[in-house]
Amino acid sequence: MSERSIADIYFSVLGLITTAFGIADILVTAGGGSFAFGILEVPGDLFRGGWGGFIVLSAGLFYLSGIRNIEDIHPFSKIVMGSILIWIIAGCDIFAMITESIPGGENGPWFNTFDGFIGTYAPPYAPAVLLLPFSLVVVYYIYKKKQDNMSENWE
Amino acid sequence: MKLTVDQRWDLIDKIAKQTVTFGEYKHTLKDAIGELTVKPLTGIPIAIAVMYAFWSVFGSFAGTLFTDGFMVKLFDGRFLPWIQDIFPGAGGWLYYIIVGNPLADNSFEAFGMLTSGLFVAIGIVLPAIFIFYLMLALLEDIGYMPRLAVLIDTVLHRIGLHGYAIVPTILSLGCNVPGVAATRILETRKQRFIMMTLLAIFIPCGAQIGIMEKVIPDTMGWVLLYLIGGYFLFGYILNKIIPGRSPEFLIDVPPYRKPMISNLRKKVWVRIAGFFKVALPFVLLGCGIVNVLYLTGFIDWIGNVLSPVFVSWFGVPEATVGPLIAAFLRKDLAVAQLSVIEMTPYQMITSVVLVSIYFPCVATFAMMIKEGAKELLGALAVLFAVVFLYGGLIHLIGILLGVA
Amino acid sequence: MNVLLMGHPNVGKSVFFNRLTGANVTESNYPGTTVDFTKGWMKIDGEDAELVDVPGTFSLDPKDKAEEVAVAMLHENKDAKVICVIDASKIERGVYLALEILEEGYPMVIALNMWDAAVDKNILVDVNNLQRILGVPVVPTVAISGEGIRELTSKLKEAKPVEINDIIKNAGCLT
Repeated sequence: MSERSIADIYFSVLGLITTAFGIADILVTAGGGSFAFGILEVPGDLFRGGWGGFIVLSAGLFYLSGIRNIEDIHPFSKIVMGSILIWIIAGCDIFAMITESIPGGENGPWFNTFDGFIGTYAPPYAPAVLLLPFSLVVVYYIYKKKQDNMSENWE
Repeated sequence: MKLTVDQRWDLIDKIAKQTVTFGEYKHTLKDAIGELTVKPLTGIPIAIAVMYAFWSVFGSFAGTLFTDGFMVKLFDGRFLPWIQDIFPGAGGWLYYIIVGNPLADNSFEAFGMLTSGLFVAIGIVLPAIFIFYLMLALLEDIGYMPRLAVLIDTVLHRIGLHGYAIVPTILSLGCNVPGVAATRILETRKQRFIMMTLLAIFIPCGAQIGIMEKVIPDTMGWVLLYLIGGYFLFGYILNKIIPGRSPEFLIDVPPYRKPMISNLRKKVWVRIAGFFKVALPFVLLGCGIVNVLYLTGFIDWIGNVLSPVFVSWFGVPEATVGPLIAAFLRKDLAVAQLSVIEMTPYQMITSVVLVSIYFPCVATFAMMIKEGAKELLGALAVLFAVVFLYGGLIHLIGILLGVA
Repeated sequence: MNVLLMGHPNVGKSVFFNRLTGANVTESNYPGTTVDFTKGWMKIDGEDAELVDVPGTFSLDPKDKAEEVAVAMLHENKDAKVICVIDASKIERGVYLALEILEEGYPMVIALNMWDAAVDKNILVDVNNLQRILGVPVVPTVAISGEGIRELTSKLKEAKPVEINDIIKNAGCLT
């Protein structure tokens, strides 16, 4: 199987899952309350679930609209943008975890205990955080594209 | 010797032909992503993601980490009991001005210069403006602002402005003073006037946003909704009644660039220095002046005088008149003072909106004088009309919703 | 001596200013960052010179208040030298402003800034030829990393007013 079709299949699947997660986010928020399954926890507040869900959904649509011709720079840029949107949401979620993990809580000591600190990072995670490692694959393709461009210039 | 415009372009054409060679140019990933960020269909979700990130990081850093994580503990747990204890003359007027209520168990209710004042300034506003300006500097240096301007162009034309008006608007979200200065990039007096008026009335500054996030997190969304609504509503009206042109929008969208750490550091530092030089003294001074006015009975008196307006027209308690006076010096301080007054959610929303729109803070006021006294007078006239109309309208909405 | 930094919006005038004077005016990647002028001091051959960071302007026919400030600055400083900052990938538009300023008789040095970005876009400017035609020093620069800044300041003393007729002659056309 050629490398190109591997990329196509990979980003189609990732795109579908991302889109599904985005829709789930929005539906759960609209229904009120949150939803947890295994290591996945769909947030239910208007900000993270509603707006965040909309952005995850957009990321999925970016992926799906980009896979048609990944060799070309313009569709490829959509795939990159899908990943960037996931990085934004996941980055915000992780940053929120970090800021929660450091202080010791309202009646506790100044800084968190080590267990408490580690405990903040335990699963379940929001959808974007789970998608994060899979979205990083795009970095490989960006790198590869750069290499290709350089070799073209040499010819 | 002077050339005509056509002669000049002819000459340039000749010069360029002899000196510039264009090689073959392939679109890079950076260009393609640049295009995605300005086309509406793809650009709007991206813009929403950028705003989301801005707000999320702002809340996590300023709210969760600094204010709730450390500052509340520091000020309420250590500093407040210490200064209540060590400052002489509890119950005297000096104690009232500097420390405030000797029995208060948190820094908001104490109300003194060194208790509420210092807590609002250092505990809440300082982390808020730090993270705000860091992220704003990032957006500026990467080159996202002009793309946002292109995206929002159509909407802003409805209110007599164009896309570039987003720059003063966003700068105002940090502080209205640089926002007013930035209106100079708008072409006509009409645009400058509309922009300046809308900024001074409807755009809350970073300090105010920071404090709202702390004291009224649940109702803050409504306050922002009313302010954004007012921005567009009165922008639309001003566009209709003010004579003048609103020209089309021409802008160079610069390429994305990698931000330089040294430049970010410099920009944030300028803001932090400004905070210590201007904001901190004004917060403390504002706190002191309001306390003196309470002591002399002035606030009770003016509260009584204005009571009909406040209670029947706006539907808020007359006690809000004290914070309204403080708001002339610092909006953040005023919101903090409002937060300890006993009020229904509707009254809280309305009074915070009123504090935001009723008058620009003194620093903004000074900047507006610099930009033109005539414009300032016009802006003030609009302002009084807006406060009455909009305050009444919000009250009406409240009555219709059955909450006022 | 008086030196004015002039050019289109967002070509890096403020970056030059900070580099040359060690000052701290705001630099951003959007047009219209500078809306008022800032003055600072720089050394040219051991001599103090006053450098002014002027708001960006497209021409000497002002379109907004920031541009008015720019044009007023130029006209108030009749004996000033001008560093005209031009985006190296869009020199046509930059030269337009440069010509307007030269027509008013100001001595000038031209900085072709963001040279690196132009190279990335495969746009090449023949600096020597441009220098020959315009008759003023032309220096390629990358202000953000400091390339070409030293050469630019050393060329300031070579700045002299030029006759537009000479430029027309050098460009090889008769008007």
